[in-house]
Amino acid sequence: MLEELLIFTRGGLILWSSCRALGGAALKGSPIDALIRSCLLEERSADASFSQDNYALKWTFHNDLGLVFVAVYQRMLHLLYVDDLLAAVRKEFSQIYDPKRKDYHDFTDVFRQLHLEAEARAEIMKKSKQQLITSRPSQNLSNNKTSTKVRGADSTATGGNKKKGASAAKDDSDCADSDKGQENYQPRSALLVKGKENGGPKDNNNGAFDVNKLQKLRNNKKKTVPAEIGTKKNTTKPDTKKKVNRVWDDKPTDNKKLDFTDPADKRGDDEVIDHALVNQGESMMDKDENVSSDSEDEEEEQVQGVPKKKGWFSSMFQSISGNNVLEKSDLQPALKALKDRLMTKNVAEEIAEKLCESVAASLEGKKLGSFTRISSTVQTAMEEALVRILTPRRSIDILRDVQSAKERGRPYVIVFVGVNGVGKSTNLAKVAYWLLQHNLSVTLAACDTFRSGAVEQLRTHARRLKIPIFEKGYEKDPAVVAKEAIQEAARNKSDVVLVDTAGRMQDNEPLMRALSKLINLNNPDLVLFVGEALVGNDAVDQLTKFNQKLADLSSVPTARLIDGILLTKFDTIDDKVGAALSMVYISGAPVMFVGCGQSYTDLKKLNVKSIVKTLLK
Amino acid sequence: MEEWIQQAQVWAGQAESWVRQQPPEQIYVAAAVVAITILVLIAASCLKSSKPNTIVLSGLNGSGKTTLFYQLRDGSSHQGTVTSMEENSDTFVLHSEQERKGKVKPVHVVDVPGHARLKTKLDEFLPRAAGVIFVVDAQDFCRACKQLQTLSSCRYLYDILTKATVVKKRVPVLIFCNKTDKVTAHSKEFIRKQLEKEINKLRESRNALSSADISDEVKLGVPGEAFNFSQCQNKVTVSEGAGLTGNVSAIEEFIREYVKA
Repeated sequence: MLEELLIFTRGGLILWSSCRALGGAALKGSPIDALIRSCLLEERSADASFSQDNYALKWTFHNDLGLVFVAVYQRMLHLLYVDDLLAAVRKEFSQIYDPKRKDYHDFTDVFRQLHLEAEARAEIMKKSKQQLITSRPSQNLSNNKTSTKVRGADSTATGGNKKKGASAAKDDSDCADSDKGQENYQPRSALLVKGKENGGPKDNNNGAFDVNKLQKLRNNKKKTVPAEIGTKKNTTKPDTKKKVNRVWDDKPTDNKKLDFTDPADKRGDDEVIDHALVNQGESMMDKDENVSSDSEDEEEEQVQGVPKKKGWFSSMFQSISGNNVLEKSDLQPALKALKDRLMTKNVAEEIAEKLCESVAASLEGKKLGSFTRISSTVQTAMEEALVRILTPRRSIDILRDVQSAKERGRPYVIVFVGVNGVGKSTNLAKVAYWLLQHNLSVTLAACDTFRSGAVEQLRTHARRLKIPIFEKGYEKDPAVVAKEAIQEAARNKSDVVLVDTAGRMQDNEPLMRALSKLINLNNPDLVLFVGEALVGNDAVDQLTKFNQKLADLSSVPTARLIDGILLTKFDTIDDKVGAALSMVYISGAPVMFVGCGQSYTDLKKLNVKSIVKTLLK
Repeated sequence: MEEWIQQAQVWAGQAESWVRQQPPEQIYVAAAVVAITILVLIAASCLKSSKPNTIVLSGLNGSGKTTLFYQLRDGSSHQGTVTSMEENSDTFVLHSEQERKGKVKPVHVVDVPGHARLKTKLDEFLPRAAGVIFVVDAQDFCRACKQLQTLSSCRYLYDILTKATVVKKRVPVLIFCNKTDKVTAHSKEFIRKQLEKEINKLRESRNALSSADISDEVKLGVPGEAFNFSQCQNKVTVSEGAGLTGNVSAIEEFIREYVKA
């Protein structure tokens, strides 16, 4: 049963609510606000549906009048008629809508009517499909078998709801007749999105891209391989400890240890390293980029004026008359051009696709103003969307947060995570340098106990910056090392603790488990994902897998996810800055630092306007 | 080149003789019309640019700006609101003054979304603002301020107070403590003290940054002394009310003060 259908303006005023009109129960929590905050404002408006707690939400826009229609229903029920109903409601309501009017009580009867009609239509559809099923049993038998098996397992797991059984039969028919008309398209993709835990059917030939699907496919493909590596690793590790050197002759061996760790009290080359405290001047974090903003303003003023070029005659004629309502087909060429442009700037393909769909969803049905071309409208909409995504949702002022932590008497802990070779240790040193410039006491924690030379690297940085470092050598449990480092820092009244971890691939199950153990045990204030700007489509995979593992393997209900992104090797890309966009879009975390070189001062803040300008050039 | 000059001279001579031929009254009338048009245009542009009459409603999301907007305009908040995705902008006569006899000047009010991602919209409207109303949720105040990494009220207010346009034009700011009809709402004195304390802390941490600082920001208050709202160059006042029940008289007074009827 439909819980609620809400109609509201983009400015936030509720125009009509089925709950209030028909006297239903109010919704628990505020799923509508959650929808707006985590979906529509994040440019995911082209998604099929959104789910929160027990509710699933579907929506549609009327871009010309600036209205949003949202339907809320229980997640466990697979209602097929929702999209149908939303489209019908949109059509009817736009006819009676008047910007001056705020009261739409008469819409209640219309809505009741539409609801009944939509339900009736869905029933008819279901019956007709079931008839087709009975007439074609052999073809769909195999499909049905696999899906019924899965659905059957799921229904027993959830307690065998009667409705679920009925809907399972419906679902099979949906799966089998996937080419049967538009109505199945939306509900099936909705089912896939919602029924993620079912491990739904793999014969997905929907056009809309589903990131969850991709993730699942990748999991299925790669699940076997890392499992092997993992087990191999586990079995070889204890072996090396038990192995003894093979003795070929009767000569006794020296039994040298294979651990070449430089013990801390050997000060052989101290004179060389012990310069004065490294002072390479101001970190670029504190310098403000003013250059781009000036030219920015000029360009914006020009753009707001008359359009620059002359188009073809017909489009010119239409744009002058100003009556052109934007259709999806009109938007396609402009969006395709934009998508290609984004991809040449190294934005991941899926992200570009999703962004373009979201912009299309927000522009469809809008009336073009006079003297504007389609491409300029699309460009402006895309620019707004990009600025919205890249503007941080939470504050990125670390200094202020360190101050608050200081007042509470405990150190501010930052953990650097990422895949191999992105520059965690180098950028950790840069962040330490920046914090030192602001008169904060920093401690380094060497929790990379795997890579050879990692501890020495950090030790060198610590010596040059003259800050304490907590290390326990190699082959120790990083979670325990981190815990002890934080306790030590608290004892020494240090302000900030920077924890370095080993690089790990996102598919490596045991390493990801170790990482989530580290984070859960120590509960850091900031989990910083270090990603390089050179990465292409893999950025999406890395971030989704990292977040997923951190969420899955967490012991507390509110899992710690990635809080911020540190973008490295920014000086190596000229204007292919798309990786920043991909990472921010897929994780929702803001870019806190940008590493743009290999010396201590090469750390700066992300300038949103200049990135957007570069992406759309 | 010389040919051009000669041609121009010939044309000038021709024009002169033509003008001489016209009756003098017509020339005077034509000249007068042109002069009057120019004067009118100059006067209109002068009047337009001198008095910005926009009131900007800003604050964190969930503080009640859209409700207040509709209260001011229609006297009721209708069926409720959700998080705004776009700004609400309208020029209207305040609802409580609609019954007043005589000519009442309409007021242009803009309700800017408070969601962190839409923060850039505020910069579009601030240059034209005659007054800024900063709405604070009196009920939720302490919790919001304490959370790390959230864009809290204090930081938002600090950003507004340090913008160059606000300080230079001495835009008055009214801090409106909303939702005082709820039982757990804090008093306006408490909120004022908390805000001053937080802004003081923010000011110190910003001052600790190196000199090549964010150029758009202006240093607030007097260094060495604790921050106080009276130290601002523009006028900052604090008042309270409730959007849902219609207790918005403080806002209306503020608007009337700065947008003359």
